[in-house]
Amino acid sequence: MAVDADVVRLRRGDLNALSELITRYQNRLYRYLLRIVRQPAEAEDLFQQTWLRVIEKIRSFDASRNFDAWLFTLARNLAIDHLRRIRPESLDEPLANSWHSENVADRISSKDHTPLDHALAAERRTEISEAMAGLPMIYREVLTLRFEDDMKIEEIAQVTAVPVSTAKSRLRRSLEQLRDALGARYPGGTWQ
Amino acid sequence: MNEHDKIRELLALAVANALTSAEEKQVAEHVRSCIACSNELEAWRPIASELRRLPTPQPSSWLVQATLARAEAKFTEQAEHDWNHRLLIIVVAFAWLLTIASWAVFHVVSGRFERLLGPQFSHTWISFAAFTALEWLAGGVAAVMLAIRQRGERRLA
Repeated sequence: MAVDADVVRLRRGDLNALSELITRYQNRLYRYLLRIVRQPAEAEDLFQQTWLRVIEKIRSFDASRNFDAWLFTLARNLAIDHLRRIRPESLDEPLANSWHSENVADRISSKDHTPLDHALAAERRTEISEAMAGLPMIYREVLTLRFEDDMKIEEIAQVTAVPVSTAKSRLRRSLEQLRDALGARYPGGTWQ
Repeated sequence: MNEHDKIRELLALAVANALTSAEEKQVAEHVRSCIACSNELEAWRPIASELRRLPTPQPSSWLVQATLARAEAKFTEQAEHDWNHRLLIIVVAFAWLLTIASWAVFHVVSGRFERLLGPQFSHTWISFAAFTALEWLAGGVAAVMLAIRQRGERRLA
């Protein structure tokens, strides 16, 4: 695995490297935290805490290892501690006010051409994001890591601190639960 | 569990691209001859596709700026902490060196005190202990005063 030059520079105390890393990971990290805690204000606070933790721990990080997995593990630990402290029930239960707060325009992909396509695509994404928000935390997490962050199963296992086989079965169960949730929410829809 | 059931369990993972190459091959071979599994696989595809196309929420620009500012402050604080830590190690090592070196001095000086105060006290040890305690007390007071001053400076900054 190639050693990340910015990580090496950060270990040497180069603040510009930190700026580069924050810029590079900002969207992925914020999205991951938002998927876990579902509240933008909490995700923002955890985002900051994660980078402060990175500064604290960077010297103990082996630069030849996977920085992505390490960063997301730090974020995950902070998010879980936060949820345990603030809303322990939210580790398993869905929230009424879920994380999908984007407007319709945000949901429209450039690949959808006609207004009807736009509307249908937006509707499908609303449905899937609502159903996903209703899943327990461990399932939301594995879905976002696999489908949005495009992490490999081995990396997901590393971030979530479980064996690869567990990460795999968790991914399967999360998809099954998502499909069940879509079927229950939108009976007669195209998800079944 | 027969092969059909085993393959059916792998279909969700197939659309998530989470199968090993051997499992992928197994699934591909099975769905070619099993219409039920082929349909099931097709039913999974839109879910996987939409999951991949979910919009990414963007953090606000102030969040990145605020994070950088806090990180910079933390960086400075940590560098200062590390410097203090190194300094403390040097001071402690020096203090021990001084303490050990002072043993020889007290050994010479204590001979006179011993003759003046009587043989029942081991003045070599008492003097040595008193001097050591004084050294460490002075060091401790200096460290506390330094910490108070630094805290005050940090509050003002």
